[in-house]
Amino acid sequence: MEQVLKIEDLSICYKTDLETVYAVNGISFSIGAGETMGLVGETGAGKTTTALGIMGLLPERTGKITSGKILFEDQDLCGMTEHELLHIRGQKISMIFQDPMTALNPVLTVGDQIGEALYLHNQDGLSQKEIDKKVEETLEMVGIPKERKKEYPYQFSGGMRQRVVIAIALVCNPSLLIADEPTTALDVTIQAQILSMICDLQRKYGTSVIMITHDLGVVAETCDKVGIMYAGEIVEYGTLADIFTGEKHHPYTDGLFGSIPSLTENSRRLHPIEGLMPDPTELPKGCRFAPRCKRCSEICRQKKPPVYEENGHQIRCHLFSGKEDAR
Amino acid sequence: MAREKEKRNSQAAEIWRRFRKNRTAVIGLVILILIVGMALFADLIVPYSKCIEQVGADRLQGPSLEHFFGTDELGRDLFARVVHGSRYSLFIGVATSLMALVIGAILGASAGYFGGMVDNIICRIVDIFLCVPPILLSLAVVAALGSNMQNLIIAITVSCIPGNVRLIRSVVLTVAEQEYVEAAKSYGTSNARIIFRYVLPNAMGPIIVNTTMAISDMILSAAGLSFIGMGIQPPSPEWGALLSNAQTYLFSAPYMLVFPGIFIVLSSLAFNLVGDGLTDALDPKLKD
Repeated sequence: MEQVLKIEDLSICYKTDLETVYAVNGISFSIGAGETMGLVGETGAGKTTTALGIMGLLPERTGKITSGKILFEDQDLCGMTEHELLHIRGQKISMIFQDPMTALNPVLTVGDQIGEALYLHNQDGLSQKEIDKKVEETLEMVGIPKERKKEYPYQFSGGMRQRVVIAIALVCNPSLLIADEPTTALDVTIQAQILSMICDLQRKYGTSVIMITHDLGVVAETCDKVGIMYAGEIVEYGTLADIFTGEKHHPYTDGLFGSIPSLTENSRRLHPIEGLMPDPTELPKGCRFAPRCKRCSEICRQKKPPVYEENGHQIRCHLFSGKEDAR
Repeated sequence: MAREKEKRNSQAAEIWRRFRKNRTAVIGLVILILIVGMALFADLIVPYSKCIEQVGADRLQGPSLEHFFGTDELGRDLFARVVHGSRYSLFIGVATSLMALVIGAILGASAGYFGGMVDNIICRIVDIFLCVPPILLSLAVVAALGSNMQNLIIAITVSCIPGNVRLIRSVVLTVAEQEYVEAAKSYGTSNARIIFRYVLPNAMGPIIVNTTMAISDMILSAAGLSFIGMGIQPPSPEWGALLSNAQTYLFSAPYMLVFPGIFIVLSSLAFNLVGDGLTDALDPKLKD
């Protein structure tokens, strides 16, 4: 399958005068055309930083890509000038933001905001009329009557606004869509609608999607591939089946599944993961998860775990290195 | 095209509808229209010759049917001078604050939006200008360029810019943090477009209020400069000049101070009220 996005050994840190925050540490993954990849992890795991890194929107003075490559359609985004990036953002890669209440400009009508990306990346020489028509089509596509294009964001509810945000992201038919927790700010019923809408549109246009979330339910519903992130690393990476029904798991993944209630098993209590994410300015020497891991051993504290791989299912843990049957 | 126009019309109607709801703003608008009308049709109300015509016999006359606002120490009709003075005062007030607004907005928005080096350079220059009292700054400019109407406007504008830059920078700093600005970047909007379409419109509220208030300040600084002979040269009437002229006769002829004073107060009040009303009417976030 053709790879739309290929990330190799990407590291991003935030440098200030006082400290250096190692937000993303050597992650690699790739997404084929039309695929959906889920990035799951706690807050502070580096999911959003990864997304901003791909968009080239890291905070200018502090955020820095220290190593690695971001290959988008075989071009390295890291080496591009700001000017070249302007043509990629919005047109080829676009992003859905977490909070629809703040992601829209309050002083422009929603129609104008959807038309903005079209106007900026107007390669087919569309006239104002054609842009208007496309805006109306896009609004209908996300389930908003086209008459409402003259209204301002405050006249819309949260779920409707998220539809507008999605319309903005999709209006140029991008090849990659980054959805940064698109449903976190919405209630459950709207969540399901928005997710199924994203999936429908993705199938229709063959868009690849990076779905950033901390909700495993969202992942199960939408993704083809999953990367579990912890402290800036992808600790487990595989297909949806590998993660949800596979035999072997990283202890952190087990912990995540232990933290959600099960409908089929009868248990009195949930089993949350004890402790907090390590301080990203001072990461542990060995395995990043060692301080919280129930199955941690001496080697975990001393040495970084190698990647164990089986049919593309990668686990970064000492438990599986060397001994086949560690479980 | 027709649809586009219709949309714009309805938007203007919407703003007018919201503006009308604010009664004080409407009163301000009425006063403003009257004063502006007075400035525009000054020649129809009373001929300019009356401003400079000196009648020796009529010196320092109180208000009467012949001279509505009385006469000054040279026997000139004060009503005519106030009416024609509105042209100078309003023009200076509006022109300087608009120029200071445009320059201040460009500098302040760049400083707040780009930050870093740009911010540092602009802010340090502004700091240097702020070290000098505004009136001295204007004086220096007028002294360097010579005193006439055009240079007076430049001088007052220069003294007003630093404060504007500071204000606009601080408003822009908070707006630039908003997620919609980042979202705009994510769909490939250039920095200049973000500043003019996203940042400045959202920062407009305090800027409009500040500008309308500045108009009255500008009228007063023009008056101050005229007072020390650096502004509008006699015999041209100007409200500030009339006011300072009246100081000498404060006890013998207080009406000389009262009438120009009332007009300065009324016009700045009107500008402030209208500015306040506009801020609310232009803000689509405030529903009704």
